Amino acid sequence: MTLEGLDISILGPAMLAGVIVLSTHVPLGRQVLARGIIFIDLAIAQIAAMGVIAAQFVGVDEHGVGVQIAAALAALAGAALLAWTDRRWPKMQEPFIGTLFVLAATGGLLLLANNPQGGEHLKDLLVGQILWVSYGQLIPAAILSAVLLVIIWLRQGRLAGVLFYALFALAITVSVQLVGVYLVFASLIVPALATSNLSGRRQLTAAYVVGGAGYAAGLVLSAVFDLPSGAMIVWTLAISALAAQLLPAVRDQRAQQVQ
Amino acid sequence: MRNRFLSAMLLSLFAVPAFAKLQVFACEPEWGALVQELAADKVDVSVATTAFQDVHQIDAKPSLIARVRKADLLVCTGAELEVGWLPQLIRQSGNNKVADGPGNFLAATQITTLEKPAQLDRAAGDVHPEGNPHFQLDPNRVLKIATGLAARLAQLDAANAATYQQRLADFTARWQAAIKRWESRAAPLKGRKILVQHVSWVYLNTWLGLEQIGALEPKPGVPPTSAHLSSLISTAKDENAYAIISAAYQDQKPAKWLSERTGVPVVVLPYTVGGDAGAKDLFGLFDSTIDKLLGAAK
Repeated sequence: MTLEGLDISILGPAMLAGVIVLSTHVPLGRQVLARGIIFIDLAIAQIAAMGVIAAQFVGVDEHGVGVQIAAALAALAGAALLAWTDRRWPKMQEPFIGTLFVLAATGGLLLLANNPQGGEHLKDLLVGQILWVSYGQLIPAAILSAVLLVIIWLRQGRLAGVLFYALFALAITVSVQLVGVYLVFASLIVPALATSNLSGRRQLTAAYVVGGAGYAAGLVLSAVFDLPSGAMIVWTLAISALAAQLLPAVRDQRAQQVQ
Repeated sequence: MRNRFLSAMLLSLFAVPAFAKLQVFACEPEWGALVQELAADKVDVSVATTAFQDVHQIDAKPSLIARVRKADLLVCTGAELEVGWLPQLIRQSGNNKVADGPGNFLAATQITTLEKPAQLDRAAGDVHPEGNPHFQLDPNRVLKIATGLAARLAQLDAANAATYQQRLADFTARWQAAIKRWESRAAPLKGRKILVQHVSWVYLNTWLGLEQIGALEPKPGVPPTSAHLSSLISTAKDENAYAIISAAYQDQKPAKWLSERTGVPVVVLPYTVGGDAGAKDLFGLFDSTIDKLLGAAK
């Protein structure tokens, strides 16, 4: 046990990153769960990564805004494709998502095999680590999240077809770079899952509380026990979700639904 | 009386930094061990990674940031080895002392690196513009780095400057004697042909005269093609390869695969301090490396 990492200036930016990621992922997670397409975030993240590799392939600089544009464009293209398959073959959406995921992951490998620059750093480009987050990174992420939240609010949470997939693609491209793919998945699915028996504003509030508590507990525990923060938070999110089931507010609602 | 006691307490609070030990943060075990040789108990050393980690990428832990924050001196390899995490770590720590200047000691700046591209032509392959950063296995370069590091310690901690210089002289004498011993023991290895898992052995090869005839994974992170593997098998057989070299931190599956098909033995080297039972310090690292290389002949 050590207390030296328990420092607000170390954990503060990470917590803020968590809040920004949760702000969009909690409402989007409800939709993902309702549509039963829980692996879509992994697929979109992998497509964005492949977009970066492809951009590198045609000579876009490894650092700078070009990479972000490439990632966003690839993610949006993947989202458009998925929106189309969703309309065309709605029952087949989950297998399509899985297939797209492995195609994007291995497509990146094929591109890199003959890329003279190799790819040791490229592949990690979209895999963020929550502790490395800087305030400079958080500002554009916060602005984009605010824009996405306004759109979600204007649509009163009802996002259909292309709009849902496009918003989702942009949110994932940002969050994966901040906190990595494990935390993106957990932030999206776990709070929504824990509150799936509530509805409306109550569910949203409860999901935010579950997510926020998970991030805060994970950061503190990773500091105290000197463990990697991202992995720790995934576990505390799950524990926070389980703990929420002990609350009468969540349980009562469930009992009513069962009846 | 009470006031005097209080003011004495307060004074002693301010006086503490003068007696506080120099705080050193080492990125890799070999530099932690070198600081240990040169400074012994005059400094506190904290090592960020172990011999069983791939230092290209590490997991972010809060304690790492906290340790960099209180460091007076950072001792790392440089030459882009830690490019994936050290800049972020320094930035998050907000410790300007070690961001650059005397508090930032990069071993690569003390020596000339191998495989440094004459011109930066990115079409030429996976280019490290500052050369190959895996130079801890050349004892002559280690000695140059030790000299530079002792001077840096003396600069930052003038009160113990004499100790650092005296320990450097002692280390140099022991190290030079050891180099002679290692070179004479390793003489039979000269000109032997080896295969490597990754291309991270160029300094050891150059020092001992080993000849690298192939690499299993020439591009890190990209699986080798079947054409490459089959040419490697025929190269290994035709040229009578001596050993397949792998590092303790690497997955040995590819090396074993090649060994099964060629009969060439796999030699797992410690790679850095702590990589095996013998590599307890820098001397042990080289003793063990040469023992294991010679052992492959039996």
